[in-house]
Amino acid sequence: MPTKNLLNYSYYPGCSLHASGKEYDESTKELFKSLRIGLKEVPDWICCGATPAHNVDELLSLSLCAKNLELSEQVEGDLAVACAACFSRLKTAQHKLEESDEKRKQVAYALDAELAIDKPVKHLLEILAKDYGLERLGEAVKNPLAGLKVACYYGCLLTRPADVPQLDCAEAPTIMERVITAAGAEAVSWSHRLECCGANFTLSRPGVVINLSGQILESARRAGADCIMVACPLCHANLDIRQKEIEEAGDTIYNLPVLYMTQLLALATGAAPSKLGFDSMIVSPLPLLKEKNLL
Amino acid sequence: MSRIGVFVCHCGENISRTVDVERVARAAEKISGVAYACDYKYMCSDPGQNLLKKAVSEHNLDGIVVAACSPRMHEKTFRKAADAAGLNPYLVEMANIREHCSWVHEDKEEATAKATEIVTMLVERVKMNRKLQPITVPVTKRALIIGGGIAGIQAALDIADCGHQVVLVERDPSIGGHMAQLSETFPTLDCSQCIMTPKMVDAANHPNITLHTYSEVENVEGYIGNFQVTIRKKARSVDMDKCTGCGVCMAKCPQKKIPNAFDKNLGMRSAIYVPFPQAVPNTPVIDRENCTWFKSGKCGVCQKVCGPGAVDFTQEDQLIVESIGAIVVATGFELYSINEKPKGSAIKGYGEFGHGKIPDVIDGMTFERLASASGPTGGKIVRPSDGKEPKQIVFVQCVGSRAREKGISYCSKICCMYTAKHTMLYHHKVHDGQAYVFFMDARTPGKGYDEFWRRSIEEEQAVYIRGAVSRLYEKGDKIVVMGSDISLGIQVEIEADMVVLATAVQPRTGAELLAQKLGISYDGYNFYSEAHAKLRPVECATAGVYLAGACQGPKDIPDTVSQASAAAAKVMTLFSKDKLEREPIVAKVREAGCVACFYCKKVCPYGAVEEKEIRDRQGNLIKVVAYVNPGVCGGCGTCQATCPSKSVELDGYTDEQIIAQIEAL
Repeated sequence: MPTKNLLNYSYYPGCSLHASGKEYDESTKELFKSLRIGLKEVPDWICCGATPAHNVDELLSLSLCAKNLELSEQVEGDLAVACAACFSRLKTAQHKLEESDEKRKQVAYALDAELAIDKPVKHLLEILAKDYGLERLGEAVKNPLAGLKVACYYGCLLTRPADVPQLDCAEAPTIMERVITAAGAEAVSWSHRLECCGANFTLSRPGVVINLSGQILESARRAGADCIMVACPLCHANLDIRQKEIEEAGDTIYNLPVLYMTQLLALATGAAPSKLGFDSMIVSPLPLLKEKNLL
Repeated sequence: MSRIGVFVCHCGENISRTVDVERVARAAEKISGVAYACDYKYMCSDPGQNLLKKAVSEHNLDGIVVAACSPRMHEKTFRKAADAAGLNPYLVEMANIREHCSWVHEDKEEATAKATEIVTMLVERVKMNRKLQPITVPVTKRALIIGGGIAGIQAALDIADCGHQVVLVERDPSIGGHMAQLSETFPTLDCSQCIMTPKMVDAANHPNITLHTYSEVENVEGYIGNFQVTIRKKARSVDMDKCTGCGVCMAKCPQKKIPNAFDKNLGMRSAIYVPFPQAVPNTPVIDRENCTWFKSGKCGVCQKVCGPGAVDFTQEDQLIVESIGAIVVATGFELYSINEKPKGSAIKGYGEFGHGKIPDVIDGMTFERLASASGPTGGKIVRPSDGKEPKQIVFVQCVGSRAREKGISYCSKICCMYTAKHTMLYHHKVHDGQAYVFFMDARTPGKGYDEFWRRSIEEEQAVYIRGAVSRLYEKGDKIVVMGSDISLGIQVEIEADMVVLATAVQPRTGAELLAQKLGISYDGYNFYSEAHAKLRPVECATAGVYLAGACQGPKDIPDTVSQASAAAAKVMTLFSKDKLEREPIVAKVREAGCVACFYCKKVCPYGAVEEKEIRDRQGNLIKVVAYVNPGVCGGCGTCQATCPSKSVELDGYTDEQIIAQIEAL
């Protein structure tokens, strides 16, 4: 018999989570199921516009986000967002539209509809740390991540610009560390938590990504981390998929698994490892997880 | 029947361009009670004023309306002219047909009609004006200076040298302020102590200066010329009369590991201490929070070793009331802290610089203490963490300043110069070291300032990098400085041994509380506001209170000293007369109508309303009424608008006059 959910959210996965970041989507669903948090995907959601839209046309970028917010009204509950970029776009759109009557008018005209953009947009981290609560999260842990040294990597967009996401302190956040230590892991103190991974340059100027992501891997290793935890599919792609090239460029071996925070948390709350997409990662986390007796 | 003269000004073309001034004058002639009207190109000029003076006697005028600019501009000018012609100056009113008419309208017909109406209104008001005499109040020739830094000391010495009494109040155990903490000063690199300590001694020894150190202003009452100031002299636990300043108590005190705030916590002090050896007065204070006697009732070593028996554990705070004529506020500044700030504070702190947790990331004042010959390291520049000499040092300017996202948008003014000085001091002491400076702009407007800055680059080998710093992090025993060089368009990383942050200059914590006690205004950052940014830069809007130094805005030493002397000059001007004349436009209470609700007292922004008892000859209380102290009243009229029984009125702005003005429309 299905038990009643403790919390319910509408869910905006975003394009990446249906493609290169599939394991983020799968592990999110597994985690929320084990925490008894309901997630219902927004029907017919569209792309948030990502980086290209706001670089070429602000109205387009605002309208795409406004449309998604309007669509989300069909499903009950605050809007849960996993991808750091989607989260940033949606929050930015809300912020900009709140500030400007002129922009609100333009977007309403573009969408040919009354604006419905007030639904609270929440990143998964916020849901776990604030709505669900760290205490309850700790209680839900069945398989504590004891002995696992995690480098929590925020990237650029989760906390910045300071006045938009308001997830945590923009320049010295601790929300990821708080969440993962609640699951029994050890969060290492390291320097490159908020540095850019190179983001979209991964296709146009891979050299930039190899340099920037390389510094992040170097810093994580220096801090003695076993793995890097991320909450953004693009950061994941750069740190995981490009890791081999980075190793070649720097003539070194990192072998640092890059895991979504939901993969680690789902593992801790007792989800079946086979459902968490560990095998679709380039740097396999399985040897590490076996070594730590977490599988 | 009144005999009023109307004088319409062209103001060059400022008025006549949109108002037909001649027609206004002709229309004014026809108003009942107007005996004479004319127009003139510049009424405020010498011939214009003569025109007015001549008309007073020729036409035997008993009231004047000058239709010209705002009363804020020239009311005083024309009242003086009328006074010279033998007419009571308060029978002159300005009809503002410039700011309120010609400047804001385009249609000449309509503007002329409006100007005529404005003139008519003022004529009706002048008819009911009373002759007023300036109010005189006595002046207590004794100045209070709040703050014993260079600003306060300079102002105190100037006023005292002029022969007036000065009361100097300092919160800390010693006077000297920030200047006593500095090593050398720009742009001449003379030693701060060498130029500061003699002034401290002069202030302490001056026969006209009463020094209250370790004291704070508790309460201020009264008004210009007649303040009653309560000063709390905190318990020093040492009798200042008996103490000889021998220092045995400090040497014997077993509590020696207390971080010394004067040394930015780099050095240690005892529980009974003077903040620095050159302190004035050289009388120690017991820090009761850290003293074993006050914590546990044991020890008392200092008392046992004190030859003259000056240590007194039973001393209590003392309240002293001083009669004061003028107040100079010189409370100075403090530096922005990059630490995490409490929620709700507009100031954000610097998470990207580690929120102040990296030990070798210090602020400019800490560097001053390291470089100072009298500092905790005897002038050796070393890292606070391990005492090693830093070979690569990075200075970061504009930390907190010019950073709206961090809560402060202003420029702190002194950092460009003191950072240039720091690079020099560093180079003089660490010959094989390299200094880098991250800067936005080099702002060096001042005598010899730009030359000084150039010298740091050209002769002292400082490398200036135009760009911001995004992050500081520890890597082994180094601090990695990640920044940008916007001139080259590249990102730079420097592995530094030490980082010095030029953090923003802010007013003292609690500056707003003192302002509220004094009744002076302050800006959004809590810097005290001057009465006029350009023309009255040292006076507060509150009469009798003057500003000196960084409490008004970031300032370097030369500017601070200039402003302190300027404030002293203002005080001396006030003290040059025995009686003070004030505008008689003040509120008066009609005691018969007053119902003693004291709404007026609640709304009065000047604190001018008092409660007055009316008694019969036997001393029986008949009633309590409001009384407006004419010495304090600012003439704003708020009480008049508030009074439910219409029992308080402002001279020159009575209800009758205002209604007459409206009816004239």
